[in-house]
Amino acid sequence: MNIPQTLILGLVLGGVYALMASGVTLLFGVMRIVNLAHGVFMLLAAYGAFFLFTEWGFDPFLSLIVTMPSMFIFGMVIHRFLFPRLEGSDRYSEMTVLLTFGLALVLEGLLGFFFTGIFRSTSPAYATESILLGDLFIPKGQLYGAVASVVLLLALGALLGYTKIGHAIQATSQNRTAAQTVGVNVSRVSTFAFGVGMALAGAAGSLMSYLFTFFPGQHWQWIAILLSLIVLGGMGSIRGAIVGALLLAVLAGFVSNAFGATWSPMTFYLALFVILLIRPEGLFGEKEAV
Amino acid sequence: MVDTHQDPLLATQPPAQPSSNGRRSRVVCSIGLTGLLLLLPLSRPIVGGLYNYVMQVATIALMWVALATSWNLIGGYAGYISLGNNVFFGIGGYLAGALLVYQGWSPFVTALLAGLVGFLVGLMVGLITLRTRGPAFIIATIALLLMAALIFDNWELVGGANGLSLPLPQFPRDWARAPFYLAMLIAAAGSVVLSWKVAHSKLGLGLRALAQDEVKAEVLGIDTKRYKIIAFALSGIFPAVVGAIWGYSLTYLRPSIFFTIGIAAQMVLMAIIGGRATVAGPAVGAILLVTLNEASVSQFGSSELNIVVTGGILIVVLLFFPLGIVGSLRQRGKLPAFLDWD
Repeated sequence: MNIPQTLILGLVLGGVYALMASGVTLLFGVMRIVNLAHGVFMLLAAYGAFFLFTEWGFDPFLSLIVTMPSMFIFGMVIHRFLFPRLEGSDRYSEMTVLLTFGLALVLEGLLGFFFTGIFRSTSPAYATESILLGDLFIPKGQLYGAVASVVLLLALGALLGYTKIGHAIQATSQNRTAAQTVGVNVSRVSTFAFGVGMALAGAAGSLMSYLFTFFPGQHWQWIAILLSLIVLGGMGSIRGAIVGALLLAVLAGFVSNAFGATWSPMTFYLALFVILLIRPEGLFGEKEAV
Repeated sequence: MVDTHQDPLLATQPPAQPSSNGRRSRVVCSIGLTGLLLLLPLSRPIVGGLYNYVMQVATIALMWVALATSWNLIGGYAGYISLGNNVFFGIGGYLAGALLVYQGWSPFVTALLAGLVGFLVGLMVGLITLRTRGPAFIIATIALLLMAALIFDNWELVGGANGLSLPLPQFPRDWARAPFYLAMLIAAAGSVVLSWKVAHSKLGLGLRALAQDEVKAEVLGIDTKRYKIIAFALSGIFPAVVGAIWGYSLTYLRPSIFFTIGIAAQMVLMAIIGGRATVAGPAVGAILLVTLNEASVSQFGSSELNIVVTGGILIVVLLFFPLGIVGSLRQRGKLPAFLDWD
């Protein structure tokens, strides 16, 4: 086994996973929404990117300018229509799981109905090229994906850290009631944050369109992977999600080398169970207030 | 926001003490219903050419009654939503199927063993997953399901993704469906009785308490950890039993029959539509959805749109009727006696 090579491949893939997971963990952190539909939203964007590529020759990276804003708006609409009725429920998080579960089924069915179960993928030239560094190689596509992910995560960090709405999001995430008291319109901030989460799903979908082959039923696998790594990192913590993504992607690479690619998803599920046994609140999570 | 919002997870009033009158009518009702259902295999002269179809649909409906009612033990009474309970369904199916292929034991017998194994697996898995609460628990159950799917997809002994063919059952042709129907009937009745027993026991009271406020329940001295692990294990028994029967009746096993998230969705949906944390609710939801599904498949054929409808109903029910049919009717005091099984 070539350890440095596996490490490199795991890290670039982990960067993309971190981008995918950031949207899920943002929604949980800010609104306690567990979005089981995140995977299917990514697929939606991936299909968008696919058709932009095949019909108009848009490069997957160029398609970001379409998928991100449209998913942003779509996300805000969905949040406005579906979530207010659940507010005030004592078990809000669980209700959101069921709601987004229903949403995921609806969208999966629609994707399957319109686009069939065919495996798809875009094929820009760089998707199959590699950069050679001595006897190591880095696939260009995955490297570009990781770089784009880092840029987008930095942009997310800047949005949260340096803008007014970002501060409002952070305040809401820390203490919803207190944020409301000091004049934050939490319901509007929540809708905006949901849109941001969906825009991140849109970006992830564009990258996914050339990094992976995809089909409608695949989103369960994705959401399970993403949820495993945010539980590992500590639900709601973006830093935790990034660390979790890098750790698990590298680990999955080694598992895949040792036991075959079929078993690499097992890494995520097993890691989830192990972390639940040792530290249920995750690496960066806080113990639930009792 | 919506002040009058009813939280379905908290909607469980302790059942009113049944009057002796109500008790008698309930006993009469359940004996009458069971008697009628027992006689269904004799209905060939009445339904004629539809006989096999009727038996098949009834068998499927009873299977879902057992699945949804069992889910209700953990998802309803305890308020711990599990999206992985069909793992027990699959384990039961594969255990009985493998014992039939490799040992020649009839699944009608090994279904009992499957139930026991379902219980034990539930205990073990519960010990790990129930360390968390709320959303993390749900996530753990999804991971459990995908893990099981991955294992069975790649386990050569039981045929991997291609599945395992079972020897055909040797029943007289005219009565070929009856044994499966009766076995499902027993399992479904068993699951309802178990659900009633739990609802009327100290365990049930404890579960309702922890569903409302786990911390307070703990302060009151309820051993919440033990209670919910037992509830989870109990919710694994009957899915494993009906899995064994169902696999035998299909004569082949494949991971995609048991370990899909769609099956998990149906269990949750039926229990919620019928009324979570009630005894009758999941059974009502199961019968309703199986009927609807049969009607829509015969009208429109089966397609991807089926899961669109499943998901759509789930959303509508959650947003507008979170108490489900039985819960909403009871809240308005309009629950007919034959649906009041609590």
